[in-house]
Amino acid sequence: MHISFRHELGRDPWFITGIGLGLVLLLLAGLGPVFSPYDPHDISFRPLSPPSADHWLGVNDGGMDIFSELLFGMRNTAGFGILAGFTALFLGVAVGLAAAWFGGFTDQIAMRLADVVLAVPSVMILIMAASLFRPSPVMLAVILSIISWPTTAKAIRSQALVVKNRLHIHAARQAGASGIYILARHLLPELFPLYLIGFAAKARMAMFMEASLAFLGLLDPARKSLGIIISFALKYYYMDIWWNWLLPPVILLSLLTMTVTFLVISLEKVFDPRLKEAL
Amino acid sequence: MKDGHYIKLTAVYFFAGLVMVYASYSLPKWLPGDFVTAMYYGSNVTLTAEQEAQIRACYPCQEGFSRYLLNLLSLKWGYSYAFLTPVSDLILEALPWTLLLFGGAHGASMLFGFIAGVEAAWRRGGWVEKAGVGCMTIMEGVPEMCTGVALLMLFALWLGWFPSSGAETAYSIYSAIERIWDMTHHLALPFTTLFLAYLPGNFLLTRGSMVMVLKEQFVQTARAKGLPPSRVRYAHAARNALLPMFTRFGLRIAFMVTGAVVVETIFSYPGMGTLLYKAIGLRDLSLIQGIVLISSLMVLFVNLAMEILYGIIDPRIRNAYKLPA
Repeated sequence: MHISFRHELGRDPWFITGIGLGLVLLLLAGLGPVFSPYDPHDISFRPLSPPSADHWLGVNDGGMDIFSELLFGMRNTAGFGILAGFTALFLGVAVGLAAAWFGGFTDQIAMRLADVVLAVPSVMILIMAASLFRPSPVMLAVILSIISWPTTAKAIRSQALVVKNRLHIHAARQAGASGIYILARHLLPELFPLYLIGFAAKARMAMFMEASLAFLGLLDPARKSLGIIISFALKYYYMDIWWNWLLPPVILLSLLTMTVTFLVISLEKVFDPRLKEAL
Repeated sequence: MKDGHYIKLTAVYFFAGLVMVYASYSLPKWLPGDFVTAMYYGSNVTLTAEQEAQIRACYPCQEGFSRYLLNLLSLKWGYSYAFLTPVSDLILEALPWTLLLFGGAHGASMLFGFIAGVEAAWRRGGWVEKAGVGCMTIMEGVPEMCTGVALLMLFALWLGWFPSSGAETAYSIYSAIERIWDMTHHLALPFTTLFLAYLPGNFLLTRGSMVMVLKEQFVQTARAKGLPPSRVRYAHAARNALLPMFTRFGLRIAFMVTGAVVVETIFSYPGMGTLLYKAIGLRDLSLIQGIVLISSLMVLFVNLAMEILYGIIDPRIRNAYKLPA
């Protein structure tokens, strides 16, 4: 079953583009400190100097090398997305599987909780909390995942309910397998495609949120982020800096979210049985 | 049974609203220090412990939750120390612009996305449909921050066709028609940004659900009856593809608000978003609190309205709560 999926994914142009772009961006983000020619916090260069052989993308108003800033900014933005994506996925899988497996009261509580979290405009609480307490980015990523787990949990739960009633699960039960064993050995691996979709969708949302919050000035301005670079560059947009200072972070942020979007769309296409016919 | 359902819905949302109000009431209390420390922290005046106690006694700052609620209802939302104006004035001034921009972009993108999605699903397999899906998938990946900056560079700075900031030309004396034109001119860029951000999602979703609907037997029946294709498409099939779009709207509106804040800031549009941006920059806590609270209450209200709308749009949901006779 999985082999045919892999084959199908391998033929999907969106998936190939997404994976290719994703690998390049991950490499850039991961090896950013190695590639970057200067320390992004070094303010010893001539402010607003145009691109040159020494500074590929010029220097910003604070005298920092823009290319180095960009590499570190992307690293932070992508890292934030990956962290928030993983935590949200973990929460969603834990709640969704527990709700589906135990059913009854646990299910009721979990799903009502999910409804409440979905109904309350929690991003607003996030903005309020961020402006009052100035949490660290890691803390913020965790808060964001606490806000965004319900959709994953619901998807996992509904699919787990289907798998739960399949014959091999019944057989495993008859053979005397414990609940934990079935959850870990059967349900958890069989829902794998849903994890990919859930993770990518949450990571995309988180990167977007990180860039927006940084742009709005809710994150530490000393921490490099694509949103912060855009926000600072926008103050000087009327000067002749737009192509070396404003455009690169905009393109990089677009590529980042675009990559994840392609992956989400192609994964959904291949793995969602309902959408399968539609696309 | 049906009325009971709506009452229950309203109760749930009312409760959620109360939770929001309580959060906004209690969150600032967790901050270290109080208003006395805040007021005298940076000043030249050094207070003795006795004087501090006296000032605290003068201002009973620990107002109760019921008092807070009452103030909220009577538009006493606090006082902005950065703008030296009541918070309510600032918010009520900014609100219409945001409603115009956000509501307009939403309405337009839903309408166009829906029609384009229905038409694309109808022409499934053709090159128009394939190109449409490809373009929309790419656009879905571009965040509004990037579209906004790109449009600003291209049309405001380079070509100079549209103004780069504001909602109206300041200090101008216009007739009514000129004024509307001026407002449209200022609205064009932020509106287009949000429109382009929301369109792909609506398009892809409508297309996806429409393709499924078109496989249903009742569509075949409608065709076999010899109805004109446009009637089959819209009156019979498209109605069934409407619901997912509304459901998605409810789920995503809170995240969209953040995007709209960024777009307003990019174009300095004098709405709630720009106000929030300024308030954050000036660390004007009472203003931030007011904006966040009011906008989240509005989001809740919109979500409630949507849920009630579902029932009207989709008879299956309305009837699901009726007991069989």
